[in-house]
Amino acid sequence: MTPILSIQQLTAGIEDREILKGIDLVVNPGEVHAIMGPNGSGKSTLASVLAGREDYAVSGGSVTFMGKDLLDMSPEERAREGMFLAFQYPIEIPGVSTANFLKTAVSELRKHRGLDPLEPAQFLALMREKMKLVEMDSSFLNRSLNQGFSGGEKKRNEIFQMAMLEPTLSVLDETDSGLDIDALRIVAGGVNALRSSNNATVVITHYQRLLDYIVPDVVHVLWNGRIVRSGDASLALELEKRGYDWIKNEASVEA
Amino acid sequence: MPIEILRENVRTAHQELARSINGHADHPLHQQRTAALDAFLEQGVPTTRHEEWKYTNVLPFIGIEYAMTLCTTCFITDAECARTIGPIADALESGWRIVLINGRIDRAHSSIPEHVPGLRILPLTDATIAADARIAGVVGSNAPAQSHPFVAMNLALADQGVVIHVDANVRLERPIHIACIADTRTSHRLSTPRIVVVAEQGSSFDVVESHHTIGDMTALDVTVAEVSVAANAHVRYHKVIDDGESMRHIGSTSADVARDGSFTAHTASLGGAFVRNDAAVRLCEPSSQGFLFGTSVLQGHEYADNHTTVDHCVPHCHSEELYKGIYDGSSVGVFNGKIYVRPQAQKTTAYQSSHAILLSERAQMNSKPQLEIWADDVKCSHGATTGQLDEDAVFYLQSRGIDAAKARALMTYAFVAEVIERIELPSLRQHLEERIAEKLGAEPFAE
Ligand SMILES: Nc1ncnc2c1ncn2[C@@H]1O[C@H](COP(=O)(O)OP(=O)(O)O)[C@@H](O)[C@H]1O
Ligand SMILES: [Mg+2]
Repeated sequence: MTPILSIQQLTAGIEDREILKGIDLVVNPGEVHAIMGPNGSGKSTLASVLAGREDYAVSGGSVTFMGKDLLDMSPEERAREGMFLAFQYPIEIPGVSTANFLKTAVSELRKHRGLDPLEPAQFLALMREKMKLVEMDSSFLNRSLNQGFSGGEKKRNEIFQMAMLEPTLSVLDETDSGLDIDALRIVAGGVNALRSSNNATVVITHYQRLLDYIVPDVVHVLWNGRIVRSGDASLALELEKRGYDWIKNEASVEA
Repeated sequence: MPIEILRENVRTAHQELARSINGHADHPLHQQRTAALDAFLEQGVPTTRHEEWKYTNVLPFIGIEYAMTLCTTCFITDAECARTIGPIADALESGWRIVLINGRIDRAHSSIPEHVPGLRILPLTDATIAADARIAGVVGSNAPAQSHPFVAMNLALADQGVVIHVDANVRLERPIHIACIADTRTSHRLSTPRIVVVAEQGSSFDVVESHHTIGDMTALDVTVAEVSVAANAHVRYHKVIDDGESMRHIGSTSADVARDGSFTAHTASLGGAFVRNDAAVRLCEPSSQGFLFGTSVLQGHEYADNHTTVDHCVPHCHSEELYKGIYDGSSVGVFNGKIYVRPQAQKTTAYQSSHAILLSERAQMNSKPQLEIWADDVKCSHGATTGQLDEDAVFYLQSRGIDAAKARALMTYAFVAEVIERIELPSLRQHLEERIAEKLGAEPFAE
């Protein structure tokens, strides 16, 4: 089985500061991985590097996505190849409506896959279907992208976009933070509905709570730019009980 | 001295005009021309030391030897005319078209309606002015000849411009398109189109003024439009400058608005080496409204200077200004917005904003709001911003599969769309949407 994502000894940083200090991670089709870790450990940096944000310079290692060199691709190529990042802080884009934005994004994706653009009616039907998944109101479609959306609405909009773009690998960066329990259930329900044996999900989270709803196959703890421990779903429960200090102490002894 | 050459050339052109109207030099229009010549000569050509022309240097194209007088050899075929006016004429095909060549009405290329009830389109001549006191009263009534030397120059040389008169309670279903063509095929050309618009009580209509050149030599278009909006009348005046490198444009659009009336001016600067436009609205009676909008989408060495004046003379009036610009390359924008609220103009609401995005490090924007408020019970606000495109937003769009160039185009387009959406004439709105999207490399939106 070819992995969807294979990261080897990845180091990356900003200016002269190294943030990721050698990451190894293999994600196979059908799997859900959770990456946990205290604030500032490098989780969002890893997500940004995978999405192709230029602010971060990769200094070493490799990332293979569906057999191709991911680091060689522009952010838009990665998206077209099936990479999706749900942002920790989704950006507001005044004047660009959610519907128009998605129309452009979906047609770029289809073009890349050699498909004709959808007919307007088909597209509208698809949007309505996918919005139901995250219980989003269709009035959001004509509003400027994320502008004036509440925190929870922005997060739901991320999952809605994910549903529209049908990625092979979804990286969800703290999609649960700031959500109340009902919103959390809706978002998790959406993510679960999109799971299949052909795709994979990386859930970045700070809290174990989300993992009651999206049950991971593997849990990793990222600390200080390294994955310091990996285990099954029970690791998340242990972290919840014992806190991160336990991991930090162990990791510094090992280092 | 380039300034001296221009003064002499204007004086000579004025004298020639006096001769051509043989014997009617005492007619009211010509007396106004002569007074305007004096006003022009007295003010002279402004340098950047002049507060109103601080950023805007006209000297580089003032020293050029322009042809100014009637051109008897400037023949333009139908095909050439169609090519020159191009897409905007196609977009406004359902409207009535008035073509001005070198500032003078050209009947052959115009489709001037003869029998539309309540609509008169006339040449601005000594005879027209002598015959109609209402129209005569509008000429020189609000265009600032005493404080704007080019407005004075325009009147000094005004000849065979256009007068639009719309009767009371007439609502025109079609726009009136005034296309000004400067013929620069055989010489540099200074033309002075003058437009007079009279909207009688309760009338409502759209005018579109567009500027074009045929030929590669320099055109200097000094255009003045004066509008009189009677009680409860509504005039929407759109100006589009979307031409090539030979175009230099200095324009003034001004209106007086009576009770319950409204005047809306929208200026789109989409091309041309140099554009200076002054838009002014004077709210003369209670409950009148003025709206001034502008869109500039520039690149290369293009230049657009928008000066606006809103004058609240009486209580209970409302005004709004929204100017937005996108500047790429080494292009430069200027916005100067004056709002006067006279002591008696209580309960005024006046809002002004000017926003710019600079797409390159060489592009520049200069904004200056100037509010002079003498009344105390008013709501006035102004805001000016100049910024870059939000690169985080560009990345967000890229992460959804949209390439960087298209992401930028979408965002810049969305930025100016806020202004374009306010254009109530659908054919023009669509045309501008397409043109702007094209210039920005964005696909026009489906909606
Ligand atoms: N753009 C940036 N500029 C400077 N420092 C950054 C930047 N992004 C991340 N960092 C630093 O890198 C470390 C990891 O940050 P981040 O990846 O956001 O952590 P996490 O998502 O795990 O909370 C932090 O110390 C943070 O301050
Ligand atoms: Mg983070």
